Amino acid sequence: MIQSFKALAGLPLAGSILNACVPETKKVIPGKLKGPDFKAGHLLRKALSVVPTQTETKDVVIIGGGISGLSAACWLKQNSDQDFCLLELEEETGGNSRGGKNAHTVFPWGAHYLPLPNNDLTELLAFLQENEVITGFNAAGLPIYRDECLCFDPEERLYINGHWQEGLVPNWGVPEADLKQINRFLELMAEMKQAKGTDGKFAFTIPISASSADENFRRLDKLTMAEWLIQNKLTSDYLHWYVNYCCRDDFGTDAKDTSAWAGIHYFAGRKAQAANTDPDRVLTWPEGNNWLAQRLRKPLEKHIRTGKLVYKVSLVKGNVAIDYLDIAQNTYHRILAGKCILATPQFVNERILNIQPEQGGNRNYKAFSYAPWAVANLALESPPAGRGVPLSWDNVVYGSKSLGYVLANHQQLQIYPENPVITFYLPLPDEDPAKARRMAYEKKQEDWAELILAELEKAHPFIRENVKNLDVWIWGHGMIRPSVGFIWGEEKAAAEKPVLDKIFFAHTDLSGISIFEEAFYQGIRAAQRMVEGKA
Amino acid sequence: MRISIQALLLFSVFVVATCGLVYELVAGTLASYLLGDSVTQFSTIIGAYLFSMGIGSYLSKYFNRNLIAWFIQIEVLVAVVGGSSSTLLYLLFDRVESFRLVLYLLVALTGILVGLEIPLIMRILKDRFEFKDLVSQIFTFDYIGALLASVVFPLFLVPFLGILRTSYLFGLFNAVVALVLCFYFNREIRWATYLKGTCVMAILFLMAGMVYSDKILAFTESLNYPDKIVYTAQSPYQRIVLTKNSHDYRLFLNGNLQFSSADEYRYHEALVHPGLNGIEKPEKVLVLGGGDGLAVREVLRYPDVKKVVLVDLDKEMTHIFTHHASLLDLNRKSLLSPKVTVVNADAFQWIKTNTEQFDFVVVDFPDPGNYSVGKLYTNTFYNQLKRVVAPGGQVVIQATSPFVAPNSYWCVVNTLQAVGFRTLPYHAHVPSFGDWGFVMATLEPGFKLEKEFLPELKFLNKATFEQMCVFPKDMPGKQTEVNKLNNQVLVHYFEKEWGKYLN
Ligand SMILES: Cc1cc2nc3c(=O)[nH]c(=O)nc-3n(C[C@H](O)[C@H](O)[C@H](O)COP(=O)(O)OP(=O)(O)OC[C@H]3O[C@@H](n4cnc5c(N)ncnc54)[C@H](O)[C@@H]3O)c2cc1C
Repeated sequence: MIQSFKALAGLPLAGSILNACVPETKKVIPGKLKGPDFKAGHLLRKALSVVPTQTETKDVVIIGGGISGLSAACWLKQNSDQDFCLLELEEETGGNSRGGKNAHTVFPWGAHYLPLPNNDLTELLAFLQENEVITGFNAAGLPIYRDECLCFDPEERLYINGHWQEGLVPNWGVPEADLKQINRFLELMAEMKQAKGTDGKFAFTIPISASSADENFRRLDKLTMAEWLIQNKLTSDYLHWYVNYCCRDDFGTDAKDTSAWAGIHYFAGRKAQAANTDPDRVLTWPEGNNWLAQRLRKPLEKHIRTGKLVYKVSLVKGNVAIDYLDIAQNTYHRILAGKCILATPQFVNERILNIQPEQGGNRNYKAFSYAPWAVANLALESPPAGRGVPLSWDNVVYGSKSLGYVLANHQQLQIYPENPVITFYLPLPDEDPAKARRMAYEKKQEDWAELILAELEKAHPFIRENVKNLDVWIWGHGMIRPSVGFIWGEEKAAAEKPVLDKIFFAHTDLSGISIFEEAFYQGIRAAQRMVEGKA
Repeated sequence: MRISIQALLLFSVFVVATCGLVYELVAGTLASYLLGDSVTQFSTIIGAYLFSMGIGSYLSKYFNRNLIAWFIQIEVLVAVVGGSSSTLLYLLFDRVESFRLVLYLLVALTGILVGLEIPLIMRILKDRFEFKDLVSQIFTFDYIGALLASVVFPLFLVPFLGILRTSYLFGLFNAVVALVLCFYFNREIRWATYLKGTCVMAILFLMAGMVYSDKILAFTESLNYPDKIVYTAQSPYQRIVLTKNSHDYRLFLNGNLQFSSADEYRYHEALVHPGLNGIEKPEKVLVLGGGDGLAVREVLRYPDVKKVVLVDLDKEMTHIFTHHASLLDLNRKSLLSPKVTVVNADAFQWIKTNTEQFDFVVVDFPDPGNYSVGKLYTNTFYNQLKRVVAPGGQVVIQATSPFVAPNSYWCVVNTLQAVGFRTLPYHAHVPSFGDWGFVMATLEPGFKLEKEFLPELKFLNKATFEQMCVFPKDMPGKQTEVNKLNNQVLVHYFEKEWGKYLN
């Protein structure tokens, strides 16, 4: 009797508890490891000595199909009748604004949003209007943005003290003293937004080059953002986390390695106003800024050649010789062009630009350093939830090394987006970026998957079971690092100087901060200089 | 410091007694909550519980060896069964035919286990006390425990922890006592490792239960309805529950009442006829949402209507309203009419790609209680809506209660106006909902309303409708923001206003 009672009640119960609690063998998450410039470095070295026999001529060649290259090409197409082509190493244009897709949705691999652009950026507003992101202007001249492109509500949430709060500025369970400091900081930033230098220009604006030259502000480039906070008696841990998060978000660097000028620019550079939304909004699309890259590319189809690795740019009898490898065909080609725009980062230029020092080839590339990034796209069974504010576009975990994740399906009009994809952003800041890069290249997909899940599990303990696929993209040289002294230093200024009025430079690393607007204006400015001989 | 064995065991008597009574109270409370009639529920449950304790006491004589180990084992079982009992009851309430049987089985099981414990402990302690002291001590602690439980249960536990968490918490107490005993009697008991293992697992399980009790509750609450459930289905989007009592059917989506068959005619007449009856020869009608076919039923009263397109996301919904006999009676087989095309699609996606125009459009979406549904009330959606209205056509939108949620209601009105619709707000009293609001909208300079209403209608006539267009002094129109994808103000208004109303 007792035995059977035990068998009936005790064992099955104990057994089922056992089953429920013993951890199953961890689910392995399928996925791929991707990234640019794996093969490129290798091919570059191999090709360097080859002199192509096939030669063609062009008025202009643009190298690099990122935002700056595409924007240079667009400007050229609209404002000149020069015969030009654009050479891009990858199979797709877009550069850091690349996108990907699975069977259900598109998603970003890099840049994913554009904050409302400042109202004096006429060319950018015109581009947005051509592509119906701006549908018109109101009586006061303020742009009306298409609702589908403005980030839907809820926009941002922060997981802090066990709860998802609205917005990213910490407030849930944050002590009064910290809140005060955070407010003081935000007030200071609001002042900086409107601050003008003695030359009448905004202290912080976009493009960076239009900012005031007033030493009072430029001086801020000589200290770090972390030092600036301390100098201003802003010591709250919550505030420091937030500012650090912002530095990582925009620059891929920690506040302690970021120029205070750049750090403040993040908060003070943007002063947009719009007719139909409050100013702190962003424009975004399921595929992120790749949407913009596609629109930039559209009028250029005939001019774009992808899968072409430029390995040497040199001066040959008064022309610019651009030597490239057609990766698919494995053939070598030379274009002799009157002029050329290098819309490639300086670490690439260092290898391909073959110019004598006296002709302007003497450049200090060492000053340019880049923060590596890992970006992962996770295909999920169902949307991740949690206590507090529901799933938002941008979902950040307080205290995490990562920047959290963005829901790619957020801008879809579907009521219940199925097969959600989240894009997880992990900057890999380090005082020594080369070391961080080496470490990043050593990791396998499984390693990234574990690392990323560990971060996500802080807010979503059971997310592993929810992940169908996890692809990772490693950006070895993701973003230029605005380290102390870089933005207003000599090296950067020297690097953007054209060579003999024949070779021009456009890339966000010449701005010192990697954002869409800078890339867009880098391209325009280089093209303008080239055609109009403008400074 | 080693606590005396007696003190420890007496303390466990105290815990056992407290927990036992708490489980009993939990069962009683849940039974009266779920089944109603609290006097009957409480007295039968207390009876069953005490009787089961008797069975347990009787059975205790069959335990002859390893008494401490058995005691610990039973303690763990009590922890798990008692701790999870409320969750089980919640979960099984609308799943099993004879819920009562499950209820009493659980009560009996807990009772038997608790009933086993006291005699076992008396026997464990029998050589350590004088008999008179033993009896006096044990029963003292037993009754003190019972007193404590009966006082804290209504005063603190239910209001502050809720039923689910309370049972898990007391389960945890049981399990922790078991674990402490394991360590204390480490050398004396058999199967020590196994017992410790089960203790730890029980503790983990119960802690998980505590942590997730909110989630469990949210899920189980949605399963509980006052009436008999005659149909349930879980679609990818919502849980559909149909209940029945002596005079009506009720449909719940995710626990929210959609209609009661007793007064739905008021809602659907008010929704359809004012906008439709003024239109000269309405040939094509579009219904967005409304997979129950009740709005379509009203539309089909107009012989001029040649084609009705119904777009509802949820296949399950349109399935039950084309298959369930009593529901077919209710919607008069409207969805089976050859004039009607049912499209199961996301309304936002559908409307973006649709090129057809309709003379009359009924927009009958669920209330904007979350950001997903909120998208269907935005200016972006209404801009799309403009494209599907034929020249001379009219639209009607259900827009929650202007009495309970005035900002929400007028936000819908203002958003429609912002995209260029002319609006006519009106409201009707639907007993099971309260004062409910609708908005008629058109792109024409004026509304077409002049005609008489169909005589067969049960609720509406011209005079009634004229009254419905009047908003009394305590329900004036309101200035609100326009609802947009990037502000979703309507969801915020709605949460605030209904939240206040329900609390
Ligand atoms: C992870 C990540 C997230 C980001 N998020 C944002 C964001 O949300 N918002 C934002 O505004 N900005 C963001 N950025 C910044 C982004 O870099 C810029 O917005 C912009 O895309 C930079 O464009 P670019 O043209 O200056 O540079 P790149 O994108 O670097 O373009 C350079 C191009 O040159 C090509 N190339 C390189 N070498 C050769 C060669 N030898 N031959 C031919 N072609 C070559 C490359 O393939 C590439 O296409 C992000 C960057 C990263 C890495």
